[in-house]
Amino acid sequence: MDQAIFALVFVPPLAAAMVSILPGGRAGLAASVAGGALSLAASALLFLSGAQGRYGYFYADGLTGVLLVTISSIFLTSVAYSAFYLKRVEGSLLHFRWYYALMDLFAVTMLLAVMVNDLGLIWIFVEATTVTSALLVALERQRTSVEAAWRYTLIVSSGLAASLLSVVLVYLSQGTLQMSELLVDPAARPVVLLLAVGFALVGYGTKAGIAPMHAWLPDAHSEAPSPVSAMFSGILLPTSLYAFYRTFALLRGTQYFAAAQDLAIGFGVLTALVAALIMGHQRNYKRMLAYSSMENMGLILVGFALGGIGAVGALIQVVSHAFAKSSAFYESGNILTVYRTKDMSSVKGMEGRLRYTTYLFLLSCMSVTGAPPFGVFLGEFMILSRVAQTGNVPLLTVLAAIYVYAFVGLNRQAIGMAFGEAREAAPPVREEVLSVLLPAVNLALSLLVGLLLAPGLMGAAGLASLPAATGGFLP
Amino acid sequence: MHSEAVGLLEMMVVMTALYMQGQSYIEPSIKAVSLQSVFLSALFVALYLESGDVGLLFLSAITLAMRGAVVPYMMLRQVRPSGRTLRETESSQRIASLIVVGAMVVMAGYALFTLILLPAVSAPSASVAFVLLLLSFLLIITRHNTLVQMSGYLEEENAVLLFGALIAPGLPLLMEVAVALDIFGVVLVGVIISAEREAFRTLEPEDLEQLSG
Repeated sequence: MDQAIFALVFVPPLAAAMVSILPGGRAGLAASVAGGALSLAASALLFLSGAQGRYGYFYADGLTGVLLVTISSIFLTSVAYSAFYLKRVEGSLLHFRWYYALMDLFAVTMLLAVMVNDLGLIWIFVEATTVTSALLVALERQRTSVEAAWRYTLIVSSGLAASLLSVVLVYLSQGTLQMSELLVDPAARPVVLLLAVGFALVGYGTKAGIAPMHAWLPDAHSEAPSPVSAMFSGILLPTSLYAFYRTFALLRGTQYFAAAQDLAIGFGVLTALVAALIMGHQRNYKRMLAYSSMENMGLILVGFALGGIGAVGALIQVVSHAFAKSSAFYESGNILTVYRTKDMSSVKGMEGRLRYTTYLFLLSCMSVTGAPPFGVFLGEFMILSRVAQTGNVPLLTVLAAIYVYAFVGLNRQAIGMAFGEAREAAPPVREEVLSVLLPAVNLALSLLVGLLLAPGLMGAAGLASLPAATGGFLP
Repeated sequence: MHSEAVGLLEMMVVMTALYMQGQSYIEPSIKAVSLQSVFLSALFVALYLESGDVGLLFLSAITLAMRGAVVPYMMLRQVRPSGRTLRETESSQRIASLIVVGAMVVMAGYALFTLILLPAVSAPSASVAFVLLLLSFLLIITRHNTLVQMSGYLEEENAVLLFGALIAPGLPLLMEVAVALDIFGVVLVGVIISAEREAFRTLEPEDLEQLSG
């Protein structure tokens, strides 16, 4: 086990990016799919090897492997889905060979962000995701998408400067940015680290869609092409939360850890609450899905902040949400290509036109809002269990209410789209195999996460054995 | 205690920030952030003369080259072809009130720094960097023009790097280089998007209402 396997994770998509921009521009799709598949294979190998600790420039623990597999999977399915989606894009801002190259680089920056052994480099790669993805948001060259891309670039870059400050503060306290050392060394100046966690929360939180810094998120998610929205929601937001978590974890064992926990939980609850309240009243179905991502990220932040089984639940939710939400965004792409509008009031009675897409969409919506037995349910169940363990009844009540409100809000709208009365009758559309297969695979994976893990985890014995089984990233 | 040169240069940096706050024309805003970077670059040299940390010279060179010259040049090229973007669509009355807000931010920022951050970082001169950070946020929030907002973003990076140099000298050089590259990337994206936004402005003012709620 050496650095080579880490290189195998990010070099294939990097090579794919170079192949994609070759003149002629026909190889982009094939190269990107191949790059994604190789990256996924290497990530799976790394995950299964149980890599632990520092490997040259890289660092791995239970969290790293899981995130690498998730990122490479969503990247692979998103570039594959692009083969279907891009055929419907007219007047593109970029030549499609640049589209594939940027998708590849976007994936490379996220993969590197979760495996480098240096907090400074993590910041750099998270910031670099903005550079690689901003033009993808503007791809369809509408006035709204260009505006959304600009808001995204500006808000997220400005926010990330706050997390750069957090990196500086960590260095001030510890004299190093190497994660392998940071995780072992005791906190030298805890109060400085607490400030660092605060700035990290604002900075990385901006990118993760944490309220009240989330203003860019619904715009970018709704205006980006569907495969890009899937990458944003499924893997970009968790990558940013990962960066926050690495700083947050440094405070563990100090007298300020409880304060940092309260801070993170407060922001997490606020995010989930804001998203849940707005979600059910959206008119644009892609914006609705974007708010659902926010709601999930809020709960995941709460889980990570609580630690123990809460953090395991958060990780399960990250994985399962990534698969389910990417599926939902692919389906939204199918809907958009047929209806040519994102306005929900014009999309009624889908079941009669897009039969397979409709049922997949309904199931994806149920999955992302935590319907059992999907993995998101399992994750949320574990986070709530952790809250119950801590005996914080008001928090438990608020989170349960958010869960129910979001579930009802989103699914009510989705059912309206599926079975509502169409304004005018239209014949059924013949759905392409690829456009149905890819969302179906990701939806099935989100189900599988729940089904495979639930029996072992739901029992009290399973919960007790968790910290040992997660590769040591937990307290 | 820092030398008078450091104090003077710090003051010049803040003055350029306040000037940008009160500027309703786009071109002077870009030139001001370029000037600010030149002052900052000189400030890093002054800090080097005190501490002897060679990294500061490097930081000075990057600051001068990237934010002092290359990036502002790219941005100015965006302004010149189309004369009508010279002035931002702000009423001068609003700009005047923003100068007052800016001055209040300076005072509030200094107080906030002294109360909260100073006990932790124990570097009094870093208050300048903190105030600059707040002023850059104010500029970004209160303006609509892409290029002015981008100037604000450059100012923000200036603030963060100054903060780093003052409170945690010896931060790995790799960081500085990568930060400079990142800024370059963001600005490149910004310039492309800015051109697109301009193209749309010449069309019928379409409704951006879709991006709400």
